[in-house]
Amino acid sequence: MSIRLGLGIFSVQAVPQRPDHHVKLYADLLEDAELAEALGFDSIWLSEHHFWFDGYCPADIVAAGAILGRTTTIRVGTAVMLLPMHSVEKVAADAAIVNRLGDGRLVLGVALGYRDNEFDGFSVRRKDRGRLMDSMLPRLADTSRAADPPYAVYVGVATAVAAQRAGRLGLPLFADSTMNATELKEMLEAYNEAARSAGVDAPSHHALQRDVFVTGDLDRDWPRLLPELRYMRRQYGAWSNPREPDESTADYLARLDGDIEAKLKNLIIGDVAHVAQELRRFESLGFDLIVCRSQFGNLPRELLRGAIEGLSRVRGEVGR
Amino acid sequence: MRIGLGPLPLAGASGSQLAAMARAAVAASFDSVWVAESRGEGVGGGLAAAAMLAQVVPIRVGAVLDLGAYHPLYMAEDIAIADITSQGRIEVLLRGGSVEQVQLLVAALSGAHLQFRGPTLRVPAHLEANQPAPERLALNPAPAQPAVPIWVEGALSGHSQDLGVGTAAQWAGGVAAPAPTGRWPGLLLCPGDSQADELLRSAGAEPAYFLVSAVTPEDVVSIGRRLVGPLRMPEFPDWIGAQ
Repeated sequence: MSIRLGLGIFSVQAVPQRPDHHVKLYADLLEDAELAEALGFDSIWLSEHHFWFDGYCPADIVAAGAILGRTTTIRVGTAVMLLPMHSVEKVAADAAIVNRLGDGRLVLGVALGYRDNEFDGFSVRRKDRGRLMDSMLPRLADTSRAADPPYAVYVGVATAVAAQRAGRLGLPLFADSTMNATELKEMLEAYNEAARSAGVDAPSHHALQRDVFVTGDLDRDWPRLLPELRYMRRQYGAWSNPREPDESTADYLARLDGDIEAKLKNLIIGDVAHVAQELRRFESLGFDLIVCRSQFGNLPRELLRGAIEGLSRVRGEVGR
Repeated sequence: MRIGLGPLPLAGASGSQLAAMARAAVAASFDSVWVAESRGEGVGGGLAAAAMLAQVVPIRVGAVLDLGAYHPLYMAEDIAIADITSQGRIEVLLRGGSVEQVQLLVAALSGAHLQFRGPTLRVPAHLEANQPAPERLALNPAPAQPAVPIWVEGALSGHSQDLGVGTAAQWAGGVAAPAPTGRWPGLLLCPGDSQADELLRSAGAEPAYFLVSAVTPEDVVSIGRRLVGPLRMPEFPDWIGAQ
């Protein structure tokens, strides 16, 4: 087995430290997609969240359409669409058309979602998300297989429970960047056991997302990266861990910073040889597609493009 | 007068076919090219397809959308991203849906900090299980255009003035093009064999936007040659291009 490398996830945020207008941010995204295609990446991936002050991409399938219109060979994925907030009929009808117009290059990653305000905006109770996922996912899987051409559905997971749901349906996983190697191994065991119990022939290869930054000069780049990484991780941490009513700002930030330090341990950063060595560790676990996020917040263009070009050299080292 | 191509049905279409039609529309001087979803038949993706075509051609791109099929806030988000990726070239025609749904869609696209309380839709919903929810929320990012052109047809047409949207109608022999509402001309969906003089008669003294259907790129070129000149300027000198 060799590893395919995807680029992403892209979330297209006008972050406070560099709040470019979204017209420019999406123009940059389309340029990055062209670069990724020229450099031979397997795929490029878009993220989805709603009602956030920096304009985090809320419509990944439409942004995917724009990328498919600009490119000709690279696959375009959602990582991940928050399925329980949507109408599954809408998602299936959109995906089938976008995939056909894009010559079969769409990959649909879906997951639960977790942020209360997003569910509430669409009049969905967050507590219903598991039940909704149980209902929607089999229907989406069926329609994806029946589509012309069919498109792949990955299930975004950060817990064993979510992996078991995917295992029962025989759908491949898109594992979250926050899980370390031990957690990934345990999660895959739960997945395979659920598939066996359900009598399902589940795939043995899955996708994994990692935060990855290729640089030949860590001392030079780290001071520029750290604020962006902190911003990104603080945002996701805050969504998972809302502020308590009586919690002071200082206490809340301290709580989030503890989470940031834990998550930063999963970051893979260094030169081509180091990054390639780190990524190969996941191959033996069963991940043949690694989606590498090098865009944290809104990095300066030259910094991001240098990292993407470095990552393309890693691609030459690790496989396809 | 303005002239658009379409709507091109997405059912059964390939990306290369749509791109060929869109390029022909540019070559024939159409102002826009439109696609149409049909969710009743399981065909969606109108805005994603529009976003895709906007990367292929430099003219405006329209999408005929089925409004009532899903939450209007999702449609607002999809319109916003299609508009931003196309750098402000998206237009929309809504089929179906309710006045309340159009109100929420238009309010969301305006960039307002929303607190919508309609007969069936509430934003934020403030469902008991979702506390604490904010008092208001906003579509972010908002579209690139200050106001995305939106038209409605059918039962909603009678409300277009109040909703701040344009009115659309299907061509029928001798029918008048819909009257402009606010800044939006009436939109008339016409067959490919329409003649310039009958279209101009249907508009009378008002501006109008004619959306003309075609099946092949050759049709597009032929329709463009027949209609674009006379629609753009009165008393078109039809001898001017004679060989």
